[in-house]
Amino acid sequence: MEKDLDENLSAQAETVVGPSVKIQGDLNSEGNIRIEGQVAGKVTTSQSVFVNQGAHIAADILAGNAIVGGEVQGNLKISGHLILQSTAKISGDISCAILRVEDGAQFTGKCAMNSNGNSAHGKKEAYNREKEPALETE
Amino acid sequence: MYYYIVDQNHLPLEKFERLQTQLQGLLAEFKIAGEVARVTPLRNITDLVNTASQRGAKTLVACGSDDTFNQMLAALKGRDFTAGFIPFDENSILAKILGTENLFTGVKTIAARRIEKIDLAKISGNYFISFLEFGVMSQNIKDATLWQSLKLLSSESKSFTIRIDDSYNVTINGQGGLVANIRSSSAHNERIANPTDGNLDLLILEKLSKMQILAHRKAIGEGCLEKVPNTTVIKCKKIEFLEPRGFSLTMLGRVVAKFPATVEIIPQRLRMIVGKSRTF
Repeated sequence: MEKDLDENLSAQAETVVGPSVKIQGDLNSEGNIRIEGQVAGKVTTSQSVFVNQGAHIAADILAGNAIVGGEVQGNLKISGHLILQSTAKISGDISCAILRVEDGAQFTGKCAMNSNGNSAHGKKEAYNREKEPALETE
Repeated sequence: MYYYIVDQNHLPLEKFERLQTQLQGLLAEFKIAGEVARVTPLRNITDLVNTASQRGAKTLVACGSDDTFNQMLAALKGRDFTAGFIPFDENSILAKILGTENLFTGVKTIAARRIEKIDLAKISGNYFISFLEFGVMSQNIKDATLWQSLKLLSSESKSFTIRIDDSYNVTINGQGGLVANIRSSSAHNERIANPTDGNLDLLILEKLSKMQILAHRKAIGEGCLEKVPNTTVIKCKKIEFLEPRGFSLTMLGRVVAKFPATVEIIPQRLRMIVGKSRTF
């Protein structure tokens, strides 16, 4: 699933923030966002966000799905999947429907799983049926 | 009523007169004859657009180079016309975009009157449908030799400050970039430079290594910067170029504005006559 989401993001990222870019202010998009640089402001999209290794975000992220490989100092409110890659550093609270944490990811904060989630639960079950754990903790 | 604005621009007089004769013959053949007005030092494109407006013309057709069309668009100043383009220049980028490759196809396209509503971009009171560039210019890279392009793309990066949609500021060290509404590689399903999506696409090129320049020289020459690694891509409706002050924004090699400047998109504003082989 991570591979699919990652490939989807790579192919269809509508907004790409390059490694030497610094953004100050709220970044809103209607499509997928890939961040490789620095953002000081809220990141909002109904689609997916990919925070690359080396990227730094100092604000909240509101998104449909997210893959985090960089540093986030702020809260993540994700309605679908949240994947913390091994290089991720999160200082803030997270809220999502389905969570995966890879070995080595650093997370300081509270975690809440979405309770609106018959659909999320359904997704989790469907995911389990594929013989992969829906939630991996260290 | 059709109103044709015919512009010699940089064409040799002999070639221009031959093309003009061909044009009038084809207009009669396709039964789309109208008023044909030639640009002269005393009657510039703005004067001719005003005359067309006073005479109640509904369709304005620029016959000449890409610059002729861009100047006509600027002179429209938001007035309600259907626009068309007949190229006199075989290397016209706009003709490729609009699917009117040559004089004959151009006239045939006007006669077929396939109209597409497209987004119109505005910069400092001027209108355009194609793209603007700053810093590294794709046309220069396209025409340059390998060593020239290596030199051009290895030059010192500039620090740009750009405000997007009145919402956030982008600071980037880059070689340059482009603001695209349409480009020659646009397509209906393309995410970038789709002229019917109501958005502008801002693409900024970061400094590249020599190997990256060699690998992506063609994509840069075609203006497809999103294919180049580390390129920043932002879809937006309003772009304010703030820094460095005095830096040029060019359209097909002609400077149209300098920083600070604002570019905005007006969705589905222009009724454009397009050919079957258009790129979007």
